Amino acid sequence: MNGTIQAPTIEYALLSPMLIVFGAAIIGVLIEAFAPRYLRKSIHMPLTLLALLGAFATTILGAANGLPTSASAMGAVAVDGPALFVWGIILILAFVSVLLINDDEQFVAQAAAVPGSSDEEEAVRSGYAQTEVYPLLLFAVGGMLLFSSANDLLAMFVGLEVMSLPLYLLCGLARRRRLLSQEASVKYFLLGAFSSAFFLYGMALVYGYTGTVSLRGIGDALGAGSGQETLLLIGTAMLGVGLLFKIGAAPFQAWKPDVYQGAPTAVTALMASTVLVAAFGAVLRVFWVALGGLEWNWQPVMWGIAILTMVVGAILAITQTDIKRMLAYSSVAHAGFLLTGVIATGAAAQNAKALSAILFYLAAYGFTTVGAFAVVTMVRDAGGEAGHLSRWAGLGKRSPFLAGVFAFFLLAFAGIPLTSGFFGKYAVFAAAVSGGAVPLVVVGVVSSAIAAFFYVRVIVLMFFNDPAADGPSIAVPTVGTSAVVALAAAATVVLGVFPQPVLDLADQAASALFIR
Amino acid sequence: MEPLLILHAVAAVCAPALVRRFGRDAFLVLALPPACGFAYTLWAVVTGTPVASHHDWAPALGLGLSFRADALSLLMMTLVTGIGALVLLYCSRYFSAGEEGLGRFGGALVAFAGAMLGLVAADDLLLLYVFWELTTLFSYLLIGQDPASRAGRRAALQALTVTTFGGLAMLAGFVMLGEAAGTYRISQLVAHPPAGGTVPAALALVMTGALSKSAIFPFSMWLPAAMAAPTPVSAYLHAAAMVKAGVYLLARLSPAFGEAVPWRVAAVSLGLLTMVLGGWRALRENDLKRLLAYGTVSQLGFLTVLFDTATRGAALAGAAMLGAHALFKASLFLVVGIVDHAAGTRDLRELSGLRRSAPWLCAVATAAAASMAGLPPFFGFSAKEAAFESLLGGGLGRSATLAGVVLGSALTAAYSLRFLTGAFGSPPGREPTPLAPYGAATFLPPALLAVLGLAAAPFASWYGRAMDPYTATFAVPGHDAHLALWSGAPVPLLLSAAALAAGALLFAAGDRGARAGRLLRTIDSGRVYWALVRGTNRFAGQLTGVVQRGSLPDYLMIAFATLAGIAAFALLHGPVTTAGPVVVLWKRAEQPVVGVLLAATAVLAPFARSHIVLALLVGLTGYGTALLFLAHGSPDLAMTQLLVETLSLVAFVLVLRRLPIVPEEEQRPRVPPAVRAALGLVTGLVAAGAGVLAVNARSETPIGTLLAGPAERSGATNIVSALLVDIRAWDTLGETTVLVVLTLGVTSLVFLRRRTYALERPPAGHRRPPGRTYWLTATLPPGERAAVLEVVARMIFHTLLLVSVFLLFTGHGSVGGGFAGGIVAGLSLVVRYLAGGRYELAVAAPTGAGVLMGLGLLLSVATAALGMAFGGAPLRAFSADLAVPLVGKVHLSTVLLFDLGIYLTVLGMVQDILRSLGAELDRQIEEEAR
Repeated sequence: MNGTIQAPTIEYALLSPMLIVFGAAIIGVLIEAFAPRYLRKSIHMPLTLLALLGAFATTILGAANGLPTSASAMGAVAVDGPALFVWGIILILAFVSVLLINDDEQFVAQAAAVPGSSDEEEAVRSGYAQTEVYPLLLFAVGGMLLFSSANDLLAMFVGLEVMSLPLYLLCGLARRRRLLSQEASVKYFLLGAFSSAFFLYGMALVYGYTGTVSLRGIGDALGAGSGQETLLLIGTAMLGVGLLFKIGAAPFQAWKPDVYQGAPTAVTALMASTVLVAAFGAVLRVFWVALGGLEWNWQPVMWGIAILTMVVGAILAITQTDIKRMLAYSSVAHAGFLLTGVIATGAAAQNAKALSAILFYLAAYGFTTVGAFAVVTMVRDAGGEAGHLSRWAGLGKRSPFLAGVFAFFLLAFAGIPLTSGFFGKYAVFAAAVSGGAVPLVVVGVVSSAIAAFFYVRVIVLMFFNDPAADGPSIAVPTVGTSAVVALAAAATVVLGVFPQPVLDLADQAASALFIR
Repeated sequence: MEPLLILHAVAAVCAPALVRRFGRDAFLVLALPPACGFAYTLWAVVTGTPVASHHDWAPALGLGLSFRADALSLLMMTLVTGIGALVLLYCSRYFSAGEEGLGRFGGALVAFAGAMLGLVAADDLLLLYVFWELTTLFSYLLIGQDPASRAGRRAALQALTVTTFGGLAMLAGFVMLGEAAGTYRISQLVAHPPAGGTVPAALALVMTGALSKSAIFPFSMWLPAAMAAPTPVSAYLHAAAMVKAGVYLLARLSPAFGEAVPWRVAAVSLGLLTMVLGGWRALRENDLKRLLAYGTVSQLGFLTVLFDTATRGAALAGAAMLGAHALFKASLFLVVGIVDHAAGTRDLRELSGLRRSAPWLCAVATAAAASMAGLPPFFGFSAKEAAFESLLGGGLGRSATLAGVVLGSALTAAYSLRFLTGAFGSPPGREPTPLAPYGAATFLPPALLAVLGLAAAPFASWYGRAMDPYTATFAVPGHDAHLALWSGAPVPLLLSAAALAAGALLFAAGDRGARAGRLLRTIDSGRVYWALVRGTNRFAGQLTGVVQRGSLPDYLMIAFATLAGIAAFALLHGPVTTAGPVVVLWKRAEQPVVGVLLAATAVLAPFARSHIVLALLVGLTGYGTALLFLAHGSPDLAMTQLLVETLSLVAFVLVLRRLPIVPEEEQRPRVPPAVRAALGLVTGLVAAGAGVLAVNARSETPIGTLLAGPAERSGATNIVSALLVDIRAWDTLGETTVLVVLTLGVTSLVFLRRRTYALERPPAGHRRPPGRTYWLTATLPPGERAAVLEVVARMIFHTLLLVSVFLLFTGHGSVGGGFAGGIVAGLSLVVRYLAGGRYELAVAAPTGAGVLMGLGLLLSVATAALGMAFGGAPLRAFSADLAVPLVGKVHLSTVLLFDLGIYLTVLGMVQDILRSLGAELDRQIEEEAR
C-alpha cells in the first residue's frame, strides 16, 4: 500500500437517521439468525418502529440545529432542507406502513415453498412466518434515505439498489394469490434491473463527459463545455430513463399496476408512498442540481413525458376493474402532476416555489395513499382481499364508516377542497403557471377531470349500488390497521384544512434549495 | 360571515341526530341557519353596513378567508338564504315521516346552503373555488338521494363528472388569473384586471367552469338528468341557487373582462343557443319537472346573454332577471312537488281537473308562470322589458342577440302555457285525478314566492337603484335600460307583445311546433356526453390492451423504443458535435474475426427455439469476449472470463433441464419480427454509439499506464492480481463474502425440505464388490453411461487439480490467481459429476461445501487480521523469498494465503452448486419419476 489515505470525515450526527435505520436492519438480520422463531416477530416489531421513530427524531434534531451549508460525508450525501423534509416524510410513512405490515394475513408463511405444494401446507400448518420482512423493509427505507439525499451519482446508485432489492423480494411475499405475487416480483426485478442498467450506463456517459460523478461537479462541468455534447445528452437520457422508471412515469409505467396488484397490500402501500417520495427527491437532485444547466435540452422531453404520464395514468385507470390496479394508475397520474412541478424551473424564487409545492404534494399524497391501501386490506372475502371492484358494490351500506373514509381518500386524490389533495394540486399548478408551463396545467386539469371520473365512479359504486348477496366482509382491523386508517384520514383532513404549518415547513426546507 | 358558515356547518353535523330525535320536524330547526343568514343579509342591506372581512388561512399559498358583499353578492345572498329557509320549511312536510336517509339528506341540504352562501360572499378566487367544489359535492349527495334507481345513479355521476370537470378547469383558470394579477382577491382583480399573456386562456378555462355549472350548452345535459333528485332539491339547487353560481361568476368577472371580445362573443352565442334549445325542448317534455328543468336551462342561457353583453343596461336587466327567475322557478318547482305527492304523478298526460280540486295551488302556479312568461304586472315582465331595452341599438350582432332573446321569450311564454294547461287543465275525456290533501307548510313557501313575484314589481325602480353600485362597475353604458313596473318605452313593449303572441301561437300549434324542435336533437349534448364517456371507455380499453398486456418483452420494447427515441431526439436537438468521433476499426486481425462471430451469435439468438440453445449462444458471446480480451493483450481477464463462462453454462444447463425444452407456443407476436429486429438494431446502435462517443471523450491519460510502476515496486508482476489481492483487497474480501452468502441463498432454496448439509454417499453395497474401492462410482443405469466421458474424466481430473494449484501459485507473478484456480478445481468436480452422477460428488470431494467455503473465508479474514496484528493495517501483506532446494527461489507472501482463501471459497461454491442444482435436482427428478 502506498502512502497513507486521509480518513474521511463523516458527519455522524447529521447522517444518524440513515445510520440508525441501517443499524437496526443489521440487528434485524442477526435476530433472524439467532432468535428463536416464536420470539422473532415480537422483537422485530418494536425494534423496527423504534428505529424509524429514532431516525425521525434525529431528522428533526438535525433540522433544528440549522441546515448545513455544504454536503456531508466528503460530498457524497447532501443533508439539506429538501433532504430533511423528504426524510421526514419517508420515515413517517414507513412507520405507518410498518403498522400495516404487522398483520399475519398479509405475508406468506414460507416464501420458498412452491405455491400449492405440500411444502406450503406444511409451512402454514406449523405457523411459520416470514419475519425477514422487517429487516428487508428497514434496508429499503435506508436505501430510500440515501437515494433521496445522495450528492453524487455513485452514492445515488447505491441508494437506488439498496432501496430496490429488498422491495423486489417483499413484492413476492403475498400470502394469497402467490403466483401473481411472484410474477409481480420477477417483473419488478427484471424491469428494475434494466432501469438500473440504464442509470449506470447513463452515469458512465455523463462521467465520460464531465469527468466526475459528483452532482455539483457535473453542474460545474456543464458550463465549461467540451465539444462532446451528444455524449452528455445520451447520458442524460439514460439517467432519466432509470429515474423515471422508479417514479413510474409513462412510458415506463407498465410495471406499476402489475406490481402494485401482486405485492402484499402493505408492501404496495409502502411502495406507493415512500418510493415515490424518495424517487422524486433523486429526480430533483439530478435534474436540478447536476443537469440544471442543461435545462433547455431536457425540458422539452420532460414536457412530453409529463403530459404522457398524466394522460396515460388517467385514461388507463378508467378500464381497471381491480381496486389496486386502479390506485396504481392513479399513482401514475399523480407522478405526472408532480413532474409538472419538476419542469417549472426558473429563477431561485421560482425554484423554491416549485420545490416547496412538490414537497407538500408528496407529503399529502403519501398519507392518503397509505390510508387508501390500508382500507383495501380490510375488505376481504374467502380468497383474501376482495380486489375486484364489483365486490365493492354497496360497501357504503354494509360498512358506511369504512366506505366513507375510502370515499374521502378518493376525493383527496381527485383534489377536492378541504382535503390535502386540493392544496397539493393547487400548489403544483400555481408553481407550474408561474414557471410558464401553462399547457401542462391545462393537460393536468383535463386528466384530473378524467381521474375524478373514475374516483367518483367508485364512490357511486360503494354508496349507490346494492350490495351483492355474498359480498365481501370487512375484516375486524388490527389495532395497527385502524391506527393507519385513522392517521391517514387525520393527515388528509388536517393538511386540507390547516395546511399552513406544513406549507411553512416545506417553504423553509425549500428556501435554500439544494446545497451543492 | 364566518359565524354564519359555522352555524350552517354545526346544523349540518347535527342533522342526523336531530332527525332521529324529532323526525321530519327537524327540518324546522334546520331552517334556522339560512333564516339567520337571511336576517343578516336584510340587516346589511337596510343599514348599508359593508360586509367585509379577511382572515388568513394558508398565506403561503395566498389563500385567505376573504368575504365581501357588494350589491350583487347581497342579491345572491338574499336569494340563497331566503329560498333556502323556505325550502327547508317545505321539506318538513314534503317527506313522509319515516323516510330512509332523511338525516343525511337534511345535513347535506343545510351544508349545501352554507357552501352556497360562502360562494356568493367570497372575495377570494380560491375560496370561491373551495365553496364551488363543496356545492358540487353536496349537490351530488342530494341528487343521489334515491340510490335504488339506476337513473338516479347515472344522473348523479353525470352531474358530478361534468361539474367537476368544469370546476377543475376553473381552478386552472383561477390560478393563471391570480398569477397574472399577483392577487387572488376578486375585488382587486376586478378593479385592476390583468391582460395579455395567459389571461385569454385563463378566461376560457374559467368560462368553461362557469358554463358547466350553469348548464349552458354544451354542458346543459346534466341539469334535466339531475331531476332524479327530490323536488325540494330541484327547487333549490337547480332553480334558485347552485345553477346560478356559474351565472354569478360570469356576472362577477364580466365588468373586468367583458372587454375581451372572444370571451364575450363566445358566452353570448352559447347563451343564446342554450336559451332557444332549452325552450324548444321544454315544449316536448311531458314530465312537469323536466319541462321546468329545460325551462331553467333556457333561462340560464338568457342570463348568460345579459351578463356577458357587458353593458350597464344589460347588467341591470340581468340582475333583475336573476331575482325574478329565482322567485318564479322555485315556486313552480315546489308546486310540482305538491302535485306529485298529492296526485301521485307529475306526467301532464295523466293529470286532469286540478284547477277545480286545488284552486289555490292553481292560482299560485298561474302567478308564477305569468311572471315566467313575462306578463305585466309581474316582476318577470319588468325584467324582460329592461332586457329588451338594453339590447336595442348597437350593431348587427346586438340585433341578432335581441332577435334570439325575443324568440327565446316566445318559447318561454309557450312552455309556460303548456305547463299551466298541462298541470291544471281538464282535457276532455279524462277523469279528474284524485288529489290527496297537502299541508300548509308545503303550500306556504311556493305561495310566498309567487306573491313576491307580484309584490316586487312596484318596487322595480328601487331594485334598479339598489343595483347601481354593481352596474356602475361596467365601463360600457350601452343602451339605457330602466327597471320599472311600466316603463312605457314603446319598442320593448312591442317586442314583449310580439313574444307573448308568438308564444301563444307556438302553444296553439301544439305538437307541430314541438316536432320542429325535434330536428334540433342532433345537437343534444347529453348524447355527446354519453358518446364521449363510451368513447373514452373504449379508447381506454384498447389502450390498455396495447400497452398493458402484462408481457415483459412488450414492456421492455416500449422502454427501449423510448430510449432510442430520446437518444435520437438528443442527437437531433442537441448541438452539432464539432469533431466527429475517431473510429479505429481494428488493430489486429483477430479482432474483426471475433467481432463477426459475436455479431453472428446475436443474429442467431432470435431464431433459437429452445432455451438451451439460447443459453449456448449467450455463452458463445462470452467466449467471444474472452477472445477479444486476449487479442487486446489481457490474458488474465480472458482466462477468468472463459472459466466463468464455462461454469455459468454448466449452471444454466443444470437448471434448464427442469424446464420445458421449447417454450410453450405463444400467440403470434403482436409486433412483427421485422419491427422487433429494427428496434433491437437501433437500441444496439445507440448503446454502441454511446460507447464510441465515450471512448472518444477521453481527455486524460488512461490510469492503467500508471499502474505498472507501483505494481512492480510491490513485487507483483501481474497488475490484475496486485489490484485484486493488494490494492483493493478490501473489495475482494467483501466480494468473497457476498459470494458465500449468495451460494448459501441459492442452495437453501433448492434444499427446502431437507435441511441437511451432508453429501449424499452412495448407498452401502451399491454395485461395489466388497473390499474394492473405485474413484469413479458410476451410479448411472448402464444405458445412460457414457463410456468416453468416464474415461476422459478419469484421465483429466488430477491434472486439472494440479493446474488449479499451479494457477493459485503463479497468480502473483503471472496469469492465474486464487479465483481462476478455484474455478478450475471446481470444473474438475463438474467433470466428475457429469461422468459419474450424483453420488460421485461425495467421493470426489469428501469435504462438505460449507467447510470449504467457511475455511476459505476464514483464511481470507485471518490474513487481514494478520496484517493488523503485525503491521497495523488490515490486509497488510508480508512476503519473503525462500530458497527451496530443487525448486529454486519461491516467493512466499501472505497474499498467497489470501488467495488460497479465495480458491477454497470458489471451490466450495462450485461444489455447492453441483450439490444443489445437480445432485439434489437429480434426486427430485428420480423421486417424481417413481
